[in-house]
Amino acid sequence: MNVIRLIALREYMENVRTKGFWITVLIIPVIIIGMFFLQTILSNATPTRYYILIDQSGQYEEAVAVAIEREHQRQILQEFVDYLLEHRLESDLETTVANAGNAASQFVDDVDADEVAALDQWLDSGGLNYALAMASPYLEQERPDFEAPEPQFIAADLPAEVNADGSVEEIVNTLRPYLSGSREVSAGDNSGSLFALILIPEDVDADIVRPGTMPQAQDPRRGIQYWASNLTDTRLPDAIARSINAEIREREYVDLGVNTSLVRNVQRTRLPVSQLDPTAQAGEEAVSMADTFRQFAPIGFVYLMFISLMQNVQYLLSNTVEEKSNRIIEVLLASVTADELMMGKLIGIGMAGLTTIAVWLLSFYLFISAYSSTETELISQMLDVILGSELIPWFVFYYFAGYALYSGVFLAIGSLCNTLKEAQALMTPMIIIQIIPIAMMAFVVMDPNNTLVRVMSWIPLFTPYLMMNRAAADPPMIDLVGTTLLLVVSIAAVLWLSGKIFRHGVLRTGQPPKILEMIRLLRVRT
Amino acid sequence: MDQQVLSLSRVRKTYGNFCAVDDISLSIPKGAIYGFLGPNGAGKTTTIRMILDIIKPDSGEISILGKQSALDVRDRIGYLPEEKGLYKKMKVWAIIQYFAMLKGMDKSAAKERAFELLQKYGLKDFAENKVESLSKGMGQKVQVLAAVAHNPELVILDEPFSGLDPVNQSVLEELIRELASNGQTVVFSTHVMQHAERLCDHILLITRGKKIFDGTLGEARACIPRRVLLETADATDSIATLDGVSAVQLVAGDNDSSQWQVEISENLNPQEILRHCFDKHISLNRFEFVEPSLHDVFVHLVGDEAKEHVSR
Repeated sequence: MNVIRLIALREYMENVRTKGFWITVLIIPVIIIGMFFLQTILSNATPTRYYILIDQSGQYEEAVAVAIEREHQRQILQEFVDYLLEHRLESDLETTVANAGNAASQFVDDVDADEVAALDQWLDSGGLNYALAMASPYLEQERPDFEAPEPQFIAADLPAEVNADGSVEEIVNTLRPYLSGSREVSAGDNSGSLFALILIPEDVDADIVRPGTMPQAQDPRRGIQYWASNLTDTRLPDAIARSINAEIREREYVDLGVNTSLVRNVQRTRLPVSQLDPTAQAGEEAVSMADTFRQFAPIGFVYLMFISLMQNVQYLLSNTVEEKSNRIIEVLLASVTADELMMGKLIGIGMAGLTTIAVWLLSFYLFISAYSSTETELISQMLDVILGSELIPWFVFYYFAGYALYSGVFLAIGSLCNTLKEAQALMTPMIIIQIIPIAMMAFVVMDPNNTLVRVMSWIPLFTPYLMMNRAAADPPMIDLVGTTLLLVVSIAAVLWLSGKIFRHGVLRTGQPPKILEMIRLLRVRT
Repeated sequence: MDQQVLSLSRVRKTYGNFCAVDDISLSIPKGAIYGFLGPNGAGKTTTIRMILDIIKPDSGEISILGKQSALDVRDRIGYLPEEKGLYKKMKVWAIIQYFAMLKGMDKSAAKERAFELLQKYGLKDFAENKVESLSKGMGQKVQVLAAVAHNPELVILDEPFSGLDPVNQSVLEELIRELASNGQTVVFSTHVMQHAERLCDHILLITRGKKIFDGTLGEARACIPRRVLLETADATDSIATLDGVSAVQLVAGDNDSSQWQVEISENLNPQEILRHCFDKHISLNRFEFVEPSLHDVFVHLVGDEAKEHVSR
């Protein structure tokens, strides 16, 4: 036992002391945190968009202006919701529709449920100033002032050479260099490239489509013309289409003699859908955000398991190959038995793997506590949910089971090879096998007790990943007990077999054995 | 001589059709320096691995320090394998400490012992270096120290001299002698006869897995006759008539002078031949008494077989 501990400790220290280990350990948090920052920066860095509106029909200029203002207000509303989430007094993921306690939470919930209706209400009641007054009693005392985002879509001055009353063709041709970025438009003191030209021809009303009327010949320039070289940012055309259609419908109502305020009230009438959990106790069946996280948590665990196991078994393999190619193994075998050596390695490298996971969790924790914002707040609450979840014992079991199973296989491979190159050829199939359950991860979470998934769970090499993946969905007892038994039996078998291969393999030199030779090795009594 | 540290009885090991070790028996008394000699591929390493229970013999009995298997007494054995290797990233003192601890020494004693050995064998300045920075010879020395750090009763060294320069070879010889004078038993294999000649009490000579000779150095020398080399222009017929002279052979000669090899038995003093020549007025240009070397014994016993084996 003492010898096993000594070997384990040496393996552990040798791994932990290398630069490579720390690079691998730290690169994951660095990438994730970097991606987080990158996303935040990118979403804040959307540049100001200049547009020109030419309304030859003279009917819709106001509607478009309203649409653009609405888009701006929607952004303010969104950021205000983030601000509320960050600074409200009791931020609790267990909040559900039913127990949203105060006006601020109610407001957040409304926005969540129906953004359009919430935006109408926001505009009707006076926008930001009203909302700030309403929410401030429920916010923390110490908080930064809310900074409303700048408008993103700004009307540019019409360049002097453009004749707004000219033909559509003329206008578009004159503005083409601006739209392609070779010339800049000015807006007040600023200037920039022209993002979009919105052109409303004089006879636009002829293109209004009504139910029952057959569309006329397909003219690519029907209706309102939105000219822009950026095809991906659709917020502006969407907002314009929404707003102008609202305007047209309003006129139709007036023409038909319908009371438009009644119509608007009807449009905002809604019936909420409550998500309920049949397995929860009475009174607690409402599905909260945390419940949703919990269902998705297995993905995180499976992924963690995959990365950590891959790292571990690679270390195991390269260490064994190093010992073999250095011929240290022979001295070791004169001092300890092959079984002790194998166990020591398994434990030592396993500890290095646990260190990796611990460093990851710790670095996320440090990051969250050092840099707090709405997003990280969410991450920290997710971490709390995950760490407090009943999936932890599952994870610990499947992690060790997976480790024992795969490391047994990789150790045997390592003991048969003299160089890493040889070993890599043998380990590729094992890596591909592990990728299969990873590729199925998202699918399994959504349909955990699907027949295919159930069948595959019985394959021991997949069991740790798939059963971990299904853990949150209460898999049937037969799957649970059966796969666990099968897994434990296969671990014992794999460790026993690889122990035999190890004993023969470690003293072997030359090429890796052929399959037949391997079978013969296993049958020889040692 | 009464206490046997190691004994093998009719040990045999085959790999497929190839018989690596064929029916070897030996016994090694406590405190001896015992040499395993033999040409390359003779089965020395296989025999040593079987002694250490790293591989199992197909048949035969091994008794080591009173036990059936070396694994039961591994704390009392030190081993240097034929192919040397150490963990490259470990410090020199730490690796000696590690191997000593694997053999049951406690941590602080093992560390102390590591520094003591490094000091004693001229590696003190390298104690804090990593193994990868050492030269091959130094690394090998470190490995020898790691093998003996825990003061084993039985030290088994497989080709310990290969790869060492002459100075370090004699340092190692000194170390082996010291171990023996402490009452520790040393078994080592080599194909360089000079080391065995200088160190060994007993030698075992094997080739192609078979034991050819097992005995003391003196017994080995007795295997081939002692020789006197003469160079003279006169007739030497009368020498052959002397008691104890078994043969007189012409080795080389021209018109003026010939070289003769006279084989003599153990109890004949070479001075008798000198006196005989003086009496018979045989004028000598050269008179040389040659004590047979282990090299001669080796060549005599193994001879052509080894040559064939090497070039196989």
